[in-house]
Formats: sequence, C-alpha cells, structure tokens
Amino acid sequence: MPGFSSGGLGGEVGGPAASPPCPFRPSRFVPVSAATTFLVGSTTLFFCFTCPWLSEHVSSVIPIYNAVVFLFTLANFCMATFMDPGVFPRAEEDEDKEDDFRAPLYKTVEVKGIQVRMKWCSSCRFYRPPRCSHCSVCDNCVEDFDHHCPWVNNCIGRRNYRHFFLFLLSLTIHIMGVFGFGLLYILQHQHQLDSVHSSVTMATMCTAGLFFIPVAGLTGFHMVLVARGRTTNEQVTGKFRGGVNPFTNGCLRNVSHVLCSSQAPRYVGRWRGKQTVEVHPPFLRPPLSEAQLEAKVLDNGIQNDHHSSRSKSSLEQMESQSADAEPPPPPKPEVRYPGLPRADTEESSLLSEGPSTPSMYKYRPAYSSPQRNHTALTHPNKMIRGDSLDSPSILQSSRQASYRSEPSSLDGGSVIGLAARGGERGEGPGGSSGTGGEVAGGISGYSLGGRSYTSYPSSLVLSTGGSHSSSMRSAHTHHNTLGTLQSEGTTDTSYKSLANQTPQNGSLSYDSLLTPSESPEFESAAHELSPQKPHAPAAFPPAMTSSPPPGVRDVPLQGYTSPFLSAQMAQQREGQLLQGSASFSSPNRAYLRAFSPPSPNPPHAAHPETQHHLLHQDSRHPHLRATSSIRPLPPVSEQPSPSSPHACSPDPPVSPPLRGPSLRKSPSYTGEAGLQHKARPMGGGSLSGEGGVRVTQAPQSTSRPGLANHSTSKPVGGVKKVTGVGGTTYEISV
Amino acid sequence: MFHNLQELRQSPSLATKVFIQRDYSEGTVCRFQIKFPSELGSRIERTLFEDTVKTLNTYYAEAEKVGGQSYMEGCLACATAYFIFLCMETRYEKVLKKISGYIQEQNEKIYAPRGLLLTDPVERGMRVIEVSVFEDRGSSGSSPSSNVSSGISQR
Repeated sequence: MPGFSSGGLGGEVGGPAASPPCPFRPSRFVPVSAATTFLVGSTTLFFCFTCPWLSEHVSSVIPIYNAVVFLFTLANFCMATFMDPGVFPRAEEDEDKEDDFRAPLYKTVEVKGIQVRMKWCSSCRFYRPPRCSHCSVCDNCVEDFDHHCPWVNNCIGRRNYRHFFLFLLSLTIHIMGVFGFGLLYILQHQHQLDSVHSSVTMATMCTAGLFFIPVAGLTGFHMVLVARGRTTNEQVTGKFRGGVNPFTNGCLRNVSHVLCSSQAPRYVGRWRGKQTVEVHPPFLRPPLSEAQLEAKVLDNGIQNDHHSSRSKSSLEQMESQSADAEPPPPPKPEVRYPGLPRADTEESSLLSEGPSTPSMYKYRPAYSSPQRNHTALTHPNKMIRGDSLDSPSILQSSRQASYRSEPSSLDGGSVIGLAARGGERGEGPGGSSGTGGEVAGGISGYSLGGRSYTSYPSSLVLSTGGSHSSSMRSAHTHHNTLGTLQSEGTTDTSYKSLANQTPQNGSLSYDSLLTPSESPEFESAAHELSPQKPHAPAAFPPAMTSSPPPGVRDVPLQGYTSPFLSAQMAQQREGQLLQGSASFSSPNRAYLRAFSPPSPNPPHAAHPETQHHLLHQDSRHPHLRATSSIRPLPPVSEQPSPSSPHACSPDPPVSPPLRGPSLRKSPSYTGEAGLQHKARPMGGGSLSGEGGVRVTQAPQSTSRPGLANHSTSKPVGGVKKVTGVGGTTYEISV
Repeated sequence: MFHNLQELRQSPSLATKVFIQRDYSEGTVCRFQIKFPSELGSRIERTLFEDTVKTLNTYYAEAEKVGGQSYMEGCLACATAYFIFLCMETRYEKVLKKISGYIQEQNEKIYAPRGLLLTDPVERGMRVIEVSVFEDRGSSGSSPSSNVSSGISQR
C-alpha cells in the first residue's frame, strides 16, 4: 500500500535525511504478535463454531455484520501498525547553523496567544514543532505525537491516529458483538454445554470479555481526547491541566479534524523528482534600498554593501528564527569580513577579520562544521562574553536564592564567592567587584551586564580553566540568543550542547561520578532544565561549590552549602597546615600544586583547590565540562534555594539537606569531596545514602587531628560534628 | 563532460542557506512565516519573495482543509478497507504535487536568475522553507569556494 511504511523500521527509501533503522529487537514484536493472534484467532473460532448456528437459526445477517466489523478492525489495525505516523526526517547539517553550544535548548512560539515551548531535539537536530515528540523506541521525532503503542508496535502520530482511533472503536464493537452473539449461542445451548462448539464459544467469550474492559476503557479515553483536541502525550504529561489548550478548535472541529481531514503526507521516503533548475551567474540583483545605501555610506570602507547587509541579516535571522516578539538585544559590534560569505574554513575568515568578537559567530557560514575551532582563536573575547552569559542562568536560577553570602571574606580570586554574590542577588553579575546591583528584569540585566564584567568574569574564566574552550563556548550562549530568550520568556538556561552531549545516562551529571544511581535524575533534570523547576538547579550541584564561609554567613546555611563550607574550612586549614602535615589529603595537595590559582594568596588556595577539584572531575568526564562550565556560577545561588525547603534546620550545613531528594546529596558530597579525596575511594558510592553526612577524612589520617584541632579552635560560632560512613568524623563550625 | 577551468571558475557556489520557519500562531496548520529574511535583502525583492510564501501558504491551507472532498475520501477509504489508496492519490498529495510544480516554476523564473533556489518544504518535513543562496565566485572576491558541484546539482 502506498501509504505504508514499516512502523518498526525508519523509512529509508530515498530520503536524504531519513531516520536510521531501529535495531532489531524481537521483544518488541511480542505484544503485537499477541494482539494479532488473539484478534484473528478468536474471530476465526467465532466464525467457525458459533456463526453457522446463528446464521441458520437467528439471522444470516449476523455473520455478515461480524465479518464487516472484523474487516474494518483488521484494516485499521494494519494501518495503525504499518503506516508512518508522521516521522520527521533528520535535519540536514546546514540547517543547524547555530552552534549548538550556544543555542538555547528551548524556543518559544506563540500559538493562539499561548506560549508553547519547542525543544531542541539532539537526535534529529531541529527544534521540535509544537506537539511533536521524539519517540525513544522508534528513535524518531513524530508529528502530533500521541504515544508509542506496543500493541501495534508503532508510534501513533498525525498520520495514523485516525486509524488507531477507529481501530479502538471497531475493536470495541467487535468484542461486544462476539461476546453478545456468543452469549446468545450459549443461552440456546445450555443443555449442550459440553459440546465442542459450546466450549469454543465459551472460550471465545472469555477472551472477548477479558479484553473488553481495557479496550473499552482505552476507547473511552481516546474519545475524550479527541473531543478535547489533546494527544495522549499532552494528557499524560499534564501539559494543559488547568490551562488552555491552544490546539483545540472546539469539539466538533476536533472530531472532524481527526476523522475527516485528508491523509497527511509522508515526509520520509518520498519520491523526489529530480530538480532540473540550474543556477548560473551572473545573478540579478534587486536595486539597493535606502537602508542598504545608507549602510554602505556608513561603511568603514573595508566591506561592500553585501557584507553589511549580511551582517544585519544574520542578526535578524537569528532573531526571527527565535520567534522574537520583543525588542532586539542591544546592538553589538558588527565585524565585517570581506571574505566571510565564502569562508568555510576558519583560516579565511580569521585572516580577514579584524578584532575578533563574539558577534563573529553570527556570520559563520551555516554549514561549516569546523566552526567549533573558532573558539580557540576567539577565546579571549569569548571568555568575557561567555561569562556574561552565565548571568542569565544565574539570574533565572537565582530567583530562588534564599541565602546571602558574604563575599567580603573572599577576594577577587574566588570565583565562587563572586558567583554566589552575583547569584544571590538575582542580578546579572554586573560590576566587577560583584556589587553591581541592577537588573530589574531577569535577562534585561544580563544584556546590560554583558558589558560590565571585568574581574568577575576573568576570575571565572581563569577558574574554569582555559582548556575548557568548548564549555566556554557553551557558556557563551550568544547574547543575541539570550536577548531573544528574554523576549520569549523562556527559561532557557539549558543549552543544546547539554542535550547533544548526553546520549546515555549519567554522562552529564557530575554526580554520576560520585553517585551513579542518581545519574538518571540528573540527566532528565539537565534536559528539562528550567529555573523554576525545583530540581533543576540541583542538576548543577556538581559544578557548585558555593556557600559562604561559616563564620561570615548572615543567614544560616541551608541545603547543601557545605561544599563551599568545606572549601572554606580547607582553605583556612590549609594555611595552618602548610608547614607540615600532608594537609587534608595528599591528593588535594597534588591538585593545589598542579593548579595555579588566579589568586596568589595561599589562604585562598582552597578555593582554586575546590574549583580545581571540579576541574579534575571534569577532566575525567568530558561531558561534565559543559555542565560545570556553563554554569559554574548559578549553582552558587541555586544551591541553597532548592534545598531550603528540604533542609530541616539551617544550622547543620551538611546533614539535614541530605534528607532531601537524592539530587541534593550530591552537592554536599561534591563540596566536601575536596576534602575527602582520601575518603572517597572508600566511601565514594556509599555517600549517596540518605542523611549520610559527608565525611572527610578518617580520624587516623595524619591530617585529621590537625583538622579537628583547627575546627575546635575556630573562633566563629559552634562546632558541628558530623559523622559519615566509615566512622570518620568531621567538625564544621557553624 | 569536460569542465574546463574557465567553466569551473564561473560556476556558482553555495554560500549559505536561509531558512524560513513555520508560523505556528494559528496552531499546527501548515503556514510559513512571511517575514522577509535580511540575508535575502540584497538578492531578491521583498514583494516577490513574500508573494511566493503567501502562495505556498494558500496551497497548504487548501490541502489541509477539512471539507466535503476530504470527508468523501475518508468514507471511501473506510469502505474499501483503505485499498483505495493503492489506486487513488489523496487530496493532500495532489496539492503537494501542485506545490512542487509551483516551486519549480518559481525557481526557474524568479529565483535561479537571482542565484537563489527554493527547496520544497516537504523534503524537510514541512518545518522550513530552505532557500539556498549562491554566490557568484567571480563577483564576490577571492575566497575558497566550497563545493562547486553541489552548487549546480540540486539536492
């Protein structure tokens, strides 16, 4: 049948970007085989054993009626099984013109006045249209995705939803018919119940009765969905719960759309006629408009009008693609590149470029894949911009910041403190000293702050390490996009790079290193990141080591601020342990030596040490770089807020937060991991236990007594003793 | 076929691609944004381009119209257990053929002379209209051209 393509296999007939074939998994065919067997088998038995008597003694219409209903059921079943549900072909490489490190994970569009989020699909390389979803079983994005039905072993989407719905309806009617006529037969043969015919009829009735309840229930469910104009996916995920469904047109129109609309076309495996149109220069050019002439006049003479219009258009292009409804972002320096339009290679574009600025990214040819190499050369500028881009995420995530850190105890070299400061105030990290306090609206401050970073971003840059160029680029979501983010009102703190980098569980989360059991949560959190989601910030605890030093807190530490606390403790102890002991752990010492912190002060070595610890973690898990580097800062502010509702008491910085969701555990672990280098090998995995306080070193370690001594000698506040796995104790001053 | 150097030097190369996104303001019905992208500002008149997109939108609206013809088609398909699809083309497919012809015509008449080429949206899952922008190597200065052959052979 022309409209068919195997639902189980991605159609690869002639499509340039067809979905890849699904791996052959025999278990997928069990439900559909069972369904087919029951349907065909029971009906055949019914026709063979029950219908002859019925046609003789009741009416000859009965078998005909049942045959018609059965054929209808079977036809719809086959269509639902074999028809392409509306698979989107993979996007071509040049369609993803924006660097996926800097493009947002979500794009918002307005559908009938309602904001709908389009998520970036890392497999298919495009922003999923509204109502589209990616089926993990079929590994395809499906238009108007309803659900993946195991009974037909196919996705139900735009093209075959009608067949699926009719299949359900007709199956319900068929079951009722079989059961009803079987009952009629049995009632007339009560004296012959032991005969073969009666036994078979009773078996058929039992099968029919057994399947009637779930099938009828599903039919009723879908009838409600059709009337409401919703898909199963939307209903189950509660997208429109209590809200307005922008895709509904009224009950009657919804029903007619499902049943009466024309069969939607197939996208994959289409026969493409050969395009015979050829392009030959010279090309016609439209007369220059006034604006273009003006641009040419204002030109600095290096470029021609073509490039100036191109640069503007690139800016607008991105904005238009982001469905902007707000004012464009503040004007950015436009760099002109005479050779840019054809600069497929970095060399040509870079040779011709003047001062490299991040705006150069706008002009990259869409299809040049080696764009990633740009970062290395434009790194210095990227870093500054990149840091500025952390601010939106800080801004958005820091709305929940509920604690105030005291940066005064930290010097400029401490990025964490600065980050905390910036984050907690919910403002862009404007102001090099971190006192910048602007930003009324979330990202508006960002765009202003984008130009006001000095030491803050530089310290951040240095702390995150220059080697993380890719992550810097990730962090450096172009201001342009973020401007549109502002307009979209999305919580675009996550980036396509995150989505693209997580093919499997655990790779994105720092915590996966420490607590592998928790990694799936992190992955989902990272993918579905939104600052408003309480668990979202927790996705970045690995990158976070932020909490004010215990002695200088205004507000009691909440949640997992202990990582920073540990860093502070370590820092203070570091100064005292410099003379002799192996510090808290020799691995730490190694890190300290290996890492050249931006701040020369030894007391602050703990900060780079903690940061470097993160870096060390990152180096082992490249995936994490994107996470930790994209947002080294937000976690600072995000950390306490999500955990504050869970923290039982503010005082103990470590133990109570751990009773929260498992996600919360990681930050405290990571924070203390800096001090726990020795302990980790022993208790790495076990530290994921609930309520388990992260312990640092075993008492028998040479450094422990020193630590204990110092902790008790701390002048500030009291000393909290926490114990963890292995009987090790750690004293923290609160 | 023999391509001499002269020919190669003058053949156009694909410079960039401009993507016209879908307009979802009215739901999932197929519509493309009429917003004129700036990259094409110097290549084609705005009115021409907008006319093309508007016409395409009209075609798609016609294809997706739920009316008498589509209803009869559905009933007939049900009655024949969908075997009718073996012989008959659906309404949507008919309109898509018309669209394909229209795009071909537009390419020949309007876009190719200007160094542009439209790609049928159905090849991209009807998510975008892809406009390939070609650069005449001779007129745009010295820069390495990417793929000469791809500029000529259509995808």
